[in-house]
Amino acid sequence: MTAISFSGRTGYFIAVISMAAATAALALLRLHINPTTVALILLLVVLFLATMWGSGPALLAAVLGVLSFNFFFLPPYHTFTIADPQNWVALAAFLLIAVTAGQLSARAKRRAEEAEAGRVEIDRLYKELRDAFERASHVEALKHSEKLKSALLDAVTHNIRTPLTSIKASVTTLLDDLGQRISLDNESRRDMLDVINEECDRLNRFVEAMIELARIEAGEMRLRRGWSTVDEIVTTALERAQPLTRRHRVEVQIEKDLMIRVDPSAVVEVIYTLLDNATKYSAPGTTILVRAKRHGEGTIQLSVEDEGSGIPRQSRELVFDKFYRANAITDPQSQRPPGIGMGLAIAKGIVEAHGGRIWIEDGSAGNGTRVVCDLPVGDEDETTKKSEPSAKRLGHES
Amino acid sequence: MNHKPRILVVDDEPQITRVLRTSLSTHGYEVRTAADGISALETFSDWHPDLVVTDLVMPNMDGTELCRRLRAVSQVPVIVLSVKGEEKTKVEALDLGADDFVTKPFGIDELIARIRASLRRAATPVSEVGTTVLEIGDFRVDLESRQVSVRGREIHLTPKEFDLLTYFMKHAGKVITHRTLLGAIWGGDYAEQTEYLRVFIGNLRKKIETDSSGPHYIVTEPWVGYRFNPGN
Repeated sequence: MTAISFSGRTGYFIAVISMAAATAALALLRLHINPTTVALILLLVVLFLATMWGSGPALLAAVLGVLSFNFFFLPPYHTFTIADPQNWVALAAFLLIAVTAGQLSARAKRRAEEAEAGRVEIDRLYKELRDAFERASHVEALKHSEKLKSALLDAVTHNIRTPLTSIKASVTTLLDDLGQRISLDNESRRDMLDVINEECDRLNRFVEAMIELARIEAGEMRLRRGWSTVDEIVTTALERAQPLTRRHRVEVQIEKDLMIRVDPSAVVEVIYTLLDNATKYSAPGTTILVRAKRHGEGTIQLSVEDEGSGIPRQSRELVFDKFYRANAITDPQSQRPPGIGMGLAIAKGIVEAHGGRIWIEDGSAGNGTRVVCDLPVGDEDETTKKSEPSAKRLGHES
Repeated sequence: MNHKPRILVVDDEPQITRVLRTSLSTHGYEVRTAADGISALETFSDWHPDLVVTDLVMPNMDGTELCRRLRAVSQVPVIVLSVKGEEKTKVEALDLGADDFVTKPFGIDELIARIRASLRRAATPVSEVGTTVLEIGDFRVDLESRQVSVRGREIHLTPKEFDLLTYFMKHAGKVITHRTLLGAIWGGDYAEQTEYLRVFIGNLRKKIETDSSGPHYIVTEPWVGYRFNPGN
């Protein structure tokens, strides 16, 4: 409030000073300029004050201007008397114009100030709104990441606690037997020990998968690339998966002389995972089709296809997420197949580390699941250099 | 009970049902297993087990829904197998009528002890001498004269403490959730006011426990509720 009244007083003070200065300057030049010019210059001062300081100082300047115009510039000079009636008219016109112009300028100034205040207010609201949006999206992101963390924690908890539960229940039963509180027969003892053995392996598999995934995610996967035949890689994977695929019919279609520069054990792991999933999510007796072919320049396409119930389009990206279990969405009536829900996440990591990509399609008959991965063949020069002896070797073998 | 007590074990993890089947059989129980709530309900109606041990997270029908369905048709004791982090589901299952819970991973002796206690409670409910006297363990309550004695010594309780104690005696050994207890004593509107409970349980403990800082009769089940052990 003090600032406003000070600024108000300053306006009036400046009005007096300006008018006095203008009058003094004009008085010095009185012999060289006519009264009309004097009136216009004084009017200019009034307009300037109205624009800068508002209507009050402008009004004061107008009154001072009239008095100064009359006293110094209208004959008889240095009196407030006006001899010529025409000068009365001029003086009245000056007063009217000075007051009106002053008020109009002041109003324009007010409007400009109001518009500026409005703009500032809009700016402030815009900033507040933007901050609020930023805060909201930050909170949303936090919530999302919290949800993700808690889902991951649940999955880890489940994968560790479940085998631990079987192990602890078995061990405490065996301890009761040892303490002769119960009497187990040999078959039951063996069964308990088998459970402990199997569940230790399960825990170990989980820990290894976690470490592998952590390595892939940290970009620390070390690929030991070398030239291999695709046939060799697929055969190794099929041999490893043989205990799993025993109840399915496995068909293999591999184009001749396919060479690829990859980390063979990592790609075997990918195909093994795809075979493992195919057996879990399709009925025994159905066919699993493993294919490998050239796909455009410098790419080899591998695919594993089953005749199961398939994966809905909306879940096809999700299945590559850590701990995602397909049946939770595709078939809530089904039993949860054994596994830790990390296989496809690891497979994706391996394929991408090779510069390839992996995705899911419908099976060729319109049903079932087809997991496809494109892998770059490897360095061109080396392909030519290495493929010849390898091709010879293959030819020799066949 | 003339036959071996029958226990239905429900868990979707085959290794767990395998161990429990062998272990509980050796401990003298007749055991059947089910991998989900739906097949558990089928086995329950065909086989009439004396107790159900169930996991909470299962496909098809989870443990909470199984508790609800079982309570609609039977008062069979239900023990819930839970893991840490499933507190909400565990409390929900207890609210729906589960009797007790065991946290995974558990030693077989702990599970056997809980099974024994639940079976004993189901077989011998709190004795009501005439219709006005409740008697269990160290506690005797005359509902008509509102006289209460612990270990043969008479104590004076406020009306709410009296209600709490009689409720505990009627559900001795069972885990009672905060919500259930508040609903039973203060009414459904107070189901979230756990601070009421803390105050009244504290006062009740001072009157019945020999050492209220290490309670023996009213045992706290963290984040879940209380369990009343009536003593011998």
